Amino acid sequence: MIVEMKGIEKVFSHVHALKGVDFSVRRGEVHALLGENGAGKSTLIKVLTGVYPKDGGEIVFDGKPVEIESRDDAFKLGIAVIFQEFSLIPTLSVTQNILLGKEKQKFGVLRKKAMRKEVAELIERFDFPLNPDDIIETLSVAQKQMVEILKALSTNARLIVMDEPTASLSAKESEMLYRIIAQLRDRGVSIIYISHRLEEVFALSDRITVLRDGHLVGVIEHDDIVPDKVVNMMIGKELSDATASRNLSVSSARTVLEVKNLSSLGKYENVSFEVKAGEVVVLTGLVGSGRTEVLRSIFSADRYDSGEILFEGKKLPKSTAKVIDRGFGLIPEDRRTQGFVPLLSVEKNVASTNYDTLSKHGFVLRRRERELGQRAVKIVDLRPANPAVPVGNLSGGNQQKAVLAKWLTRDLKVILVDEPTVGIDIGAKDEIYNFIEGLAKEGVAVLLVSSDIAEVLRVAHRIIVMKEGRIIHEFHEGVATQADILLAASGIRAERKEA
Amino acid sequence: MQKKWLARLYKNRQLVILVLLCLVFAVLLPRKFLTIGNFRNILYAISLQGIMICGATFPVLLAGIDRTVSGSAALAGAVCCTTIVSHGFSTGGTLLGVLLGIGVGLLSGVFHGLVLSRFNIPAFLLTLATSEILYGLVQTVTGNQLINVMNAKLFNLVGSSRILGVPVPVYILLACFLFTYVMLNHTVYGRHLYCVGGNREAAKLSGINVRKIIIVAYVVSGVMGALSGLVLSSMNQQASAGQAKGYENDVLAAIVVGGVSLRGGAGTIQGAMFGALLIGILTNGLQLLGVASVYHDLIKGLIIIAAVAVDMYSSHKMSGLKRGSALRRMFRRHRHESQLKAGA
Repeated sequence: MIVEMKGIEKVFSHVHALKGVDFSVRRGEVHALLGENGAGKSTLIKVLTGVYPKDGGEIVFDGKPVEIESRDDAFKLGIAVIFQEFSLIPTLSVTQNILLGKEKQKFGVLRKKAMRKEVAELIERFDFPLNPDDIIETLSVAQKQMVEILKALSTNARLIVMDEPTASLSAKESEMLYRIIAQLRDRGVSIIYISHRLEEVFALSDRITVLRDGHLVGVIEHDDIVPDKVVNMMIGKELSDATASRNLSVSSARTVLEVKNLSSLGKYENVSFEVKAGEVVVLTGLVGSGRTEVLRSIFSADRYDSGEILFEGKKLPKSTAKVIDRGFGLIPEDRRTQGFVPLLSVEKNVASTNYDTLSKHGFVLRRRERELGQRAVKIVDLRPANPAVPVGNLSGGNQQKAVLAKWLTRDLKVILVDEPTVGIDIGAKDEIYNFIEGLAKEGVAVLLVSSDIAEVLRVAHRIIVMKEGRIIHEFHEGVATQADILLAASGIRAERKEA
Repeated sequence: MQKKWLARLYKNRQLVILVLLCLVFAVLLPRKFLTIGNFRNILYAISLQGIMICGATFPVLLAGIDRTVSGSAALAGAVCCTTIVSHGFSTGGTLLGVLLGIGVGLLSGVFHGLVLSRFNIPAFLLTLATSEILYGLVQTVTGNQLINVMNAKLFNLVGSSRILGVPVPVYILLACFLFTYVMLNHTVYGRHLYCVGGNREAAKLSGINVRKIIIVAYVVSGVMGALSGLVLSSMNQQASAGQAKGYENDVLAAIVVGGVSLRGGAGTIQGAMFGALLIGILTNGLQLLGVASVYHDLIKGLIIIAAVAVDMYSSHKMSGLKRGSALRRMFRRHRHESQLKAGA
């Protein structure tokens, strides 16, 4: 065993987050940590890496009992964390970042050549598509992640924690990461892997530890991994079937939103499509294909250079406030930085889009505001069901539900949804799909951006595939399968099946 | 049971601190500290900075800062007094002077708001620069001389008279406080202000007119700064070139001590006012004790450090963000040690 955590306890002011959890990782294994949001995964990792002090239990690292009180302590033991947000300095080069804090020097002068050589060798050893002189901010997300991994390896990390490493990677980049993980394992590095993408967890893991509500549910050996069983362990209930293909059809309802030849220099070109009342149209494609940009332009969050956006036949105004006034809503790509105000309560966040009905002559109608908060909590089944909790203190799934509530409390005509279930557990995912489907049934036009194929197949009425800023394929009718969409998105099957 | 009691104390800790401080001084200074006259002095002394605080809290809540409150005050005082003098101390001249003075604050606020809402410049740098410009203008307006308005009876009434035993500037402070309290707690503008301060991008995507919110915040700050400058001139019955210089530091100190986060989006005007009262009472008590003024600044500095530490610690607890800070570890070690001690 490289690390053994025994009977770990963690109590926050009002939440008992870890209740005597045992967790151990062998040398040279990929060990997945599974559980719904709020199950205690992140807390356990934060205890292991010294971000939170533990309130009970013990940690044995490499056979010796240890106290990990800070990130530094963890680092010295050889525990590295690759977080979703990177800790790289954007303006420095790959070499400078990897050797940050351990620069080679002679008489106080940097030995730049020697440093560059060391990093070049490291890159070569793992065969990463990186140049030691690249500046971090010019790299793709996947490349930044590789730099993070190299940084960990350069300190001889023996245990690497990867928290949702593929969340913002394309399918191809993810493949590359899987190869890297296998390579690391073969070299004796242990990996703790946290991901909501179950397929990859099942494919990669040597063992899986499942947590639920701060308890250890069980540890599953590689040979015993049966997807249904694992999922049931995680959520303790049966899940509605995820379909592998979907029947599509064109709706005959009236057109609500029409986008005509929309172009924005360097982002997307000549994009045209329409969304009808009660329809869920999915914009899919790889990350960076221009989907989010189109969505933001419709919402007037960004400008566009040419083209037209029509709502119920009339030109849509170019002001977010006016667009919202017409009955639009947006669930943005990154809820933490764009979706809510973390310090403010659920009530105030939900109210932020609703003051047109919650005020008189500029004064807030306090009672109505409070009632709306109560109503919002019920509509989205928020946990805890308390509108006074700051949204920043909620789990990922509940944060997203709070963002949904900002719009569900309004009279919606069109909702624009961008990657709504990234980093959210399956249970909450299902609920969010139900909300999207519910809105469509009520006649709301839904435009959804998603890279998650299972998600696309679950909710789409029609599918539009974008690549490098252009629409390259549309699935209107008939059966679309996972393979169809993947092939279209990668541009292999762009010419076929044009409807 | 005991815990609940402690929690309530903690919730009202600002009030508790004030009461404790008053008790300490009451014991140290029997008959001198706990008198109506002395409390009148304290309130009179903090009224100027208090009025500024009511305005300057707006930009701070937006994670901005307005270092020109003192500059606006100086220029407003200078413009007003010059106008009064040039109109021969007439009532009309006085009214015009007051309007022009307020106008100065308004213009300064509009300028800051327009620039800061459009360009991504640190508010600290911009207002540092404009503060210099404002004081330069004050020198031009006053010709670097004292502008004496001793003969402007009506104008000086504000600074020198009392209603029901309370000095008029204290009423003005109260009015400003009420204005800000209502703005922040009962208007849509206030709600939006906290949203923009807490997450500008999310506010924008919720349809909030971020630019408008920013502009209004700096306008309120500029106008309240100017207003306090007018009160100051009325108290002194004159305007001088260096008037109110350095007040901006006291104002920001009080706001920070009052628990308004410099990162924006969190804090209350009641808190900021507590900061002003704390510093005001402390200064007053130390003066009465005969402590040299050098030590006043020293103690003020220590209080600010303590306030910043509390802010960092509580915001870490609130947001759960990863702020790798030595301070956090210090707190944690401290807790470990106290637990060990409790165990032993």
